[in-house]
Amino acid sequence: MKPYYLTFQVYLAFTKKSFQQRMQYRVANLAGLTTNFFFLLVHIFVYTAFYAAHTGPQPLNLNEVITYFILCQVFFMVMPFWGARSEVTNAIKDGSVVLQLTKPVDFHAYWFADECGRAGYYLFMRGFPTFLISMLFFDVAIPQWPTALMGFAVSMTLATFMSAALTITIFSSAFWTLDTTGISGLSYSIITLFSGMLVPIALWPEWLANIARWLPFAGLIDVPFSVYLGKITGIEVWITIGKQMVWNLFFVGLGRFLLTRGFSRLVIQGG
Amino acid sequence: MHHLSLYFHFVKLRIRSQMEYRLSFVFDLFAQASISVIDFFMIALLFNRFKQLAGWNLWEVGFLYGMIGSCFALSEMIGRGFDIFQRSVVRGDFDTMLIRPLGTFYQVLAHEFLLRRVGRLAQAFVVLLIANSQLAIPWSFAKVAYLLISLVGGTCFFIGLCVLGATTCFWTVQSIELINIFTNGGVFMGSYPFGIYQRWFRHFFTFIVPLACVNYFPSLFLLEKVASSGASPLGVQLAPLAGLLFLSITMVFWRWGVSHYQSTGH
Repeated sequence: MKPYYLTFQVYLAFTKKSFQQRMQYRVANLAGLTTNFFFLLVHIFVYTAFYAAHTGPQPLNLNEVITYFILCQVFFMVMPFWGARSEVTNAIKDGSVVLQLTKPVDFHAYWFADECGRAGYYLFMRGFPTFLISMLFFDVAIPQWPTALMGFAVSMTLATFMSAALTITIFSSAFWTLDTTGISGLSYSIITLFSGMLVPIALWPEWLANIARWLPFAGLIDVPFSVYLGKITGIEVWITIGKQMVWNLFFVGLGRFLLTRGFSRLVIQGG
Repeated sequence: MHHLSLYFHFVKLRIRSQMEYRLSFVFDLFAQASISVIDFFMIALLFNRFKQLAGWNLWEVGFLYGMIGSCFALSEMIGRGFDIFQRSVVRGDFDTMLIRPLGTFYQVLAHEFLLRRVGRLAQAFVVLLIANSQLAIPWSFAKVAYLLISLVGGTCFFIGLCVLGATTCFWTVQSIELINIFTNGGVFMGSYPFGIYQRWFRHFFTFIVPLACVNYFPSLFLLEKVASSGASPLGVQLAPLAGLLFLSITMVFWRWGVSHYQSTGH
């Protein structure tokens, strides 16, 4: 007998469904695009002013910083951790997850597929337009070598996967605490800080940057963007990608473990 | 007077219900505060590297940040009812408000009070206090009064934005996320001196959405930077009132929106 919950097609179908669901909200997407641009513009104003008053050499030049923040806005919504939550994540919170549990599929993989569909949607409908429009208005740095672009594509894909695995891990805590706002809020602060989303890690003081390099969260933002900007080159690229893979496996494992434990003690509130 | 005591009665009820989940409340308080601590920490990191921004040092920017952060946290506590108003329209709950013998604006305002924003308020206020001690601002009675009016003006400004967002629900049912640009985005851009923005951007956020009037201009006055900035002294003194004016205009807009309300028919 073929264990059909292992077939890839099933999960691909979930990914597609999740993608199509989002396609319904076109006006909301337009509003989101505007918001992305507003934050990008303010970032650019702030850094332009900082650089204008400071003539000494910096680890990143202004043009690279601007490109860094454009990439931030491009991938902000793609990452399941920062972007809008998927249906399954919300279902864990409101208890309707019980319906999804009746599906004869591996729940972790199902959740992952749903997050990936959402990420794909935001890549095509939000990320690409943001990048293309930015190219019209700003001097966006483009990688000189095709290997850098390739390394970036791999690294960014791993970053998105890890972001999905992290989201699942964090929201699995709902099985124990019922209310996730506290835990998700605290982890939000720590992860946002050490991912390098607020300020590129290259501009941090050395002691703090060292802490960031030991944590996995730089792999979400700073690592792939550094590959893009050519700050990580040659064999280093493959070492960082290897590290990202290990952290991916770790968070997938942790998420699966928490989910299994959570289901064994699941009590659905209300009806 | 009766309205006011009734309002505080509602607030007491809301607080009591939020305190039912005490652990979650405490967690959330810290989570809220930690996010804004990190925000300011990152600003400090940038100043550590670049030293100054358009002639402003870290604690002058900290003053801007503390002011706008406090106003925003206060507005989120008080104006929460407007923030979540779209739910009432989607569910058709607004119908019940229309048949009660009280104004709709008052009812929505009294509908919710979000105590947990106290965490964020405390963080912003602490930054303001530290900035004050670092800058050694010579306070006078007039300056304290001016600061208080500015804080009230800033809070009114952000509540006005919530009212604006809520009013659009009468036409769109779902709230449009565009208001976030001015609320969250406003806190972000208000944390930096306005001189760094381009002219059209500055004008928009002074005359149309008067963010600068409740944060940047008051800071110029309190930090005694008016002369060096080239802003008109009289304009700076009157600026905080723009927050009150903005709220009044959105209240008129609200009244007009209510007259266009069509129930979703649940």
